[in-house]
Amino acid sequence: MRTRQRWPILVAATLLVAACGQESETPDVDQNAVATTSCASSGELTMWERSGGNKAMVDMLVEAWNTKNPDCKIKLTYIPHTEMVGKIAQGIASGEVPDLMGMDLIYAPQFEKAQQLVDLTDRIKDWPELKTASKGHMTVATFEDRLYGVPLYADVSALFYNKDLFQRAGLDPNKPPTSLPELRAYADKITALGGDVKGYYLPGNCAGCNIFTVGPLMWASGAKIEAANKGDEPLVGDGVKQVLQFTRDMVKAGNVHDGDRAENGETFHLQFGSGKVGMMGTGNFNITLAREQNPKMNFGVALLPGMTAGSSASFIGGDLVVVPKGSKRVADAVNVMKFLLSDDVQVEVYAKALNLTTRSDMVNNKYFQAEPLVQDVAKALEVGRTPYTLTFFEQINSPQGPWLKMLQRAYYSDDSLDTIISDAKKEMKAIADQS
Amino acid sequence: MYRNRRSRLVGLAYLAPALIFVLVFTVYPLGQMVWMSFHNWSLITPPVWVGLSNYRRMLGDDQFWTSFVFTLKYTALITPPLIVGGYLLALLTATNTPLRRVTRTVVFIPVVIGLGVSSLLWYWLFSADFGLVNRALLDIGLIDEPILWLGVDADTSNFAISASVVWKVIGFGMILFIGAIQAIPSEITEASLVDGASYRQRVTRVVLPLTMRTVLLVTLVSVIGSLLAFDQFYIMTAGQPQNETATSTFYVYLNSFPYLKLGYGAALSMVLAVTILAFTVVQLLLTRRSHA
Repeated sequence: MRTRQRWPILVAATLLVAACGQESETPDVDQNAVATTSCASSGELTMWERSGGNKAMVDMLVEAWNTKNPDCKIKLTYIPHTEMVGKIAQGIASGEVPDLMGMDLIYAPQFEKAQQLVDLTDRIKDWPELKTASKGHMTVATFEDRLYGVPLYADVSALFYNKDLFQRAGLDPNKPPTSLPELRAYADKITALGGDVKGYYLPGNCAGCNIFTVGPLMWASGAKIEAANKGDEPLVGDGVKQVLQFTRDMVKAGNVHDGDRAENGETFHLQFGSGKVGMMGTGNFNITLAREQNPKMNFGVALLPGMTAGSSASFIGGDLVVVPKGSKRVADAVNVMKFLLSDDVQVEVYAKALNLTTRSDMVNNKYFQAEPLVQDVAKALEVGRTPYTLTFFEQINSPQGPWLKMLQRAYYSDDSLDTIISDAKKEMKAIADQS
Repeated sequence: MYRNRRSRLVGLAYLAPALIFVLVFTVYPLGQMVWMSFHNWSLITPPVWVGLSNYRRMLGDDQFWTSFVFTLKYTALITPPLIVGGYLLALLTATNTPLRRVTRTVVFIPVVIGLGVSSLLWYWLFSADFGLVNRALLDIGLIDEPILWLGVDADTSNFAISASVVWKVIGFGMILFIGAIQAIPSEITEASLVDGASYRQRVTRVVLPLTMRTVLLVTLVSVIGSLLAFDQFYIMTAGQPQNETATSTFYVYLNSFPYLKLGYGAALSMVLAVTILAFTVVQLLLTRRSHA
């Protein structure tokens, strides 16, 4: 009987505790607070970031913040790249989210649409830094005219070419190809050197590597790839077929190593530095990597071309920094963003480490002036784009997705290209229709 | 009457911890999975009731059927070598001589390595550019150019992965078989010797029938393990080429996590669970018959 009498008290107490707990978890909502590059309040800031991205760069940025703000250091947790989306979703579903997080930029629209990121428009829209922030990043950081994040770091794709092999093949090492027919002609000459040398590189088993490097060839040729949302038409424009024909011809002509068929992304970053590839689409990160791997190799960087001379494009990848709904430190998360975009960090952290700055007006700095290759690759930011779709993983990045299936059929089968494109189009549309 | 009721309550109290454990960790998740299979749920948006739509979609999903058939083929391919190989190794190493003990240990060691680790190890061993397998085959002159073991040809990939799994798992069956063989009363073996039975006759007419329950047990474990195959394919081929080496569990994973389609993933899991249940029931019936 006594136990029964205690029930209402216990229930009331539990509800009270739960209510108090919820009160304390309410994020700061002072929309008028002016963002600074320092702490708004003391205490550790938690941050999640994917481990497969540009870890060294993120480590440096966090270190720079922590040095400047010892009272509210960022505690960074890395999550395996392949598990990041699921982990964020689980965090959101369970209410266990960090104060801020780095997010592979192509997944941002999905989370923005689901209203799981904090709308930062009123806090950041007037920042002058945003006028020159990477366009690709800002495109996917925007959903229905609302802003949800700023660039954390940028990876752009470009054409890397081995000047030593150019010289051996009788090509001018200072004149990279400016169109795909020219690229094909150059590749033929380099492959003709024989031995283990090939003119070009295609990552045959890696969906992400291909959107990064073959996607821009299509964009530069006037094509559109992904279906943005329900009812949208993917794979539009003659450039799709032209580029597939170009890649098929390159494979059939023996301009790529047979082993490239098995490349699933694990060794993609090591291929150019091997010195056995004449030209290859890869990312800005490969400047440092190739130098470390093959210090004596002389190479150059150009923009990825399209079918007509002078056309070019690039994939702007990398991460955004966003604030998940449920963050308890929104004001400080915004301060971190302000810090990342500040002139000092852009030059003394990003540029000093020879990583791309995330603001185009910061490209002219002393570090890049001393490293022409970074200046060359930075031009990709101007012609680059980032796909905008709610189903990027399913359409493009998945090893089971229609993008890789289409490319593999084009590279390694004799199926009609029209049939291949039509099949991929159907699958991409079906995926987008479910979004 | 009172004592009966009391003893029933005491009995229930003894059972309670195990019962709660089963309810919380088995019955509830299973119920949750069934519930999820009738919803569209991305985790980041609220679940929406869709009835049987996930199941209907599955019937017309080519990739689901491709992965389901491939999983059955893989199971059929890998189970015989695991059982026959494990049994032969057990016969060879059942007696306790030092050399056989060493052999037994060497064969068993891979069992204690995680499947993820062993898959990564074999991924590198089979690498076209850097792998030791191709290097060794080239050096002894068996091949003229490196073989693209993984992700290029479905049959080659399946063979390579199956070989790595046999290396990893065969010791498990061997140990169970050794236990079963050693449990045969020595009188029976001696009687067969007195009757003049040859080694082959002893194995086929005495040892094998008396260890049939273990054979069925190992078969059941192998079949279930193969139907749930994930790590090795995820790491070594990611379903390539052209999704021809994607297993059912891999497809469940893709839908549930990267695609954030938990409802569809749950429906796929249900089909997989029913398939495994069907295999298990058949195996258990066979086991009961062999016991009888």
